[in-house]
Amino acid sequence: MAPRLPARWATALTSTSSTTAAASQTLITPRQTLLLPRTAKRGVKYGWNTAPPRGKPTRFNQVTAGLPAPTTGPAAALARKAQSTPLRSGVLATKKGVSAMFTQKGRRIPCTILQMDQCEVVAVKTRAKNGYWAVQLGCGNKTAANTTAPLLGYYESTGLPPKQHLSEFRVRDQNGLLPVGIQMHPDWFKVGQFVDARSNSRGMGFAGGMKRHGFAGQEASHGNSKNHRTIGTTGPSQGGGSRVHPGKKMPGRMGNERVTIQNLRVLKVDNEMGIVVVNGHVAGPKGCVVKIADAIKKPPPVETFLDKAKRLLLERNKGHENRLRLAQQRHEHLKELRKEGRIAEAL
Amino acid sequence: MIIQSARHPLGSWKAVLRRAQQQQQFLLRTMATATTTTITNTSIPPPPPPSSKPKSGWVKSKKVKFHVIKSTVPGKPIRTAFAVYPRGHSARAINPEALKTFHAQQIKRLDKTGARTALFSKANPDAAKPGDVLQVTTNRGGEPFAGVCLSIRRAGVDTAILLRNQLTKIGVEMWYKVYSPTVTGIEIIWRRPKRARRARLTYMRKPKHDMGNVDHLVEAWRRTRNVFTSGKGAKAGQHLGRPGKHAKGKRGR
Repeated sequence: MAPRLPARWATALTSTSSTTAAASQTLITPRQTLLLPRTAKRGVKYGWNTAPPRGKPTRFNQVTAGLPAPTTGPAAALARKAQSTPLRSGVLATKKGVSAMFTQKGRRIPCTILQMDQCEVVAVKTRAKNGYWAVQLGCGNKTAANTTAPLLGYYESTGLPPKQHLSEFRVRDQNGLLPVGIQMHPDWFKVGQFVDARSNSRGMGFAGGMKRHGFAGQEASHGNSKNHRTIGTTGPSQGGGSRVHPGKKMPGRMGNERVTIQNLRVLKVDNEMGIVVVNGHVAGPKGCVVKIADAIKKPPPVETFLDKAKRLLLERNKGHENRLRLAQQRHEHLKELRKEGRIAEAL
Repeated sequence: MIIQSARHPLGSWKAVLRRAQQQQQFLLRTMATATTTTITNTSIPPPPPPSSKPKSGWVKSKKVKFHVIKSTVPGKPIRTAFAVYPRGHSARAINPEALKTFHAQQIKRLDKTGARTALFSKANPDAAKPGDVLQVTTNRGGEPFAGVCLSIRRAGVDTAILLRNQLTKIGVEMWYKVYSPTVTGIEIIWRRPKRARRARLTYMRKPKHDMGNVDHLVEAWRRTRNVFTSGKGAKAGQHLGRPGKHAKGKRGR
């Protein structure tokens, strides 16, 4: 049974309570009006139950129902992926080129030079709001004229200039989140640790089967006629169901797909130059954006280093809370002006 | 109703309240608003006092600029505007050529005297060039390798040279990284009388152009060194550790 509605005069009294606070307090308590009997809400006749309370009575298969935790669904998915999700965020960098380093003993180590340019935290994604934990990073610089109005508003609320690239890094839990507006530097990584590098490979255009999938091609002679690099037959004959199986490797667009190179050792970090040098090669042409993150198939860097890196990061970005708060206030104010069409006043 | 209340100004406080309620209904009542909302109002703390409206000076800042999107509507020049914050510390702006800087750093570490850089520098007229016969000494033991330089692959600290010789009538080519710590010395044994007009002398692999074995050149070079220098210097040739006397000194000898 729904609670009884108060009388109109009582409603009027309560609605004006802010103006006549002193008068209303004598008549009305925060819960009920004194002049009316309290509406009954609990009791067997109102459907009161003696069973233990359930978290979400409308949902079934809850833990409170004495059933095992579900193995599907968002929570189960997060728990399943926790082991392969890094503890902390990675960074965005640009591939500058490939070179080599020499050890003291003279061993040559091929390496890739990646430069971090204005890599800043633009937003965080939380389990409550977005369903997962992640840090959104932006890197590079983009002129406002090349940025759309919605994104300009987005950057305005963060207190950051428009970014050339935006990307998210999933983290295991809220300990991996970083405050919005801080800038990351190469010493986020420890020399010697392992990282994964994700980037888009160089696009090869439309390529034939030999180049794209490594098919053997056909012979040059023995009666072969104009079929030296063709892929041959694409499906079995009558007995095998004369059709082309799904996923058959064929000529087509090659490259320009995301490639992850796992377990690259960090050889050098230099804050001044803004570079991270990793062992080996990273996919993609010079100038491509590379996502570098702690390797998922190796143990993470030691706890003390993680703490130190985070502490350094926060020390270097002192006052980031204030800046963010000010930016948000300014954004709210400007948003209001834009809505009312009075934005010219702010200029 | 107004007339009524005018007739009985304080006749009933209920009437006054009713009027206030009705007025509020006109203002606030929508399809989605129930009259019960006022009950909850009592539990909600009163809204904070409206903060003094910030002046435009508060919004403006020297650092923050505005990006104005213009409008084509006559009489309304500005469609909208957004605050654009200044960019922070940019490693790219400071170091636009990170690869070059990396090379310079590494070369400084591996070639303290600058001898290796000078030996293959394009600015140095006495530098080694493709077509010259070079001898590379390594710390791996074994005899130094001599051969004609077919090409110089310039790549900063990764710069390498390709030497070709014939050992037991079999052509042998070796790549050497110029800045590798394993390479302890590079000497110019013989200079090509006329400069090669190609950067990569791949044609020298063809029998017609192959130099063959260069051991006789090495022998001649060793003899001249023995004549002009005696004792210690004659032993293993000039190494890259000596500053300032790289190519020039060698040529004179």
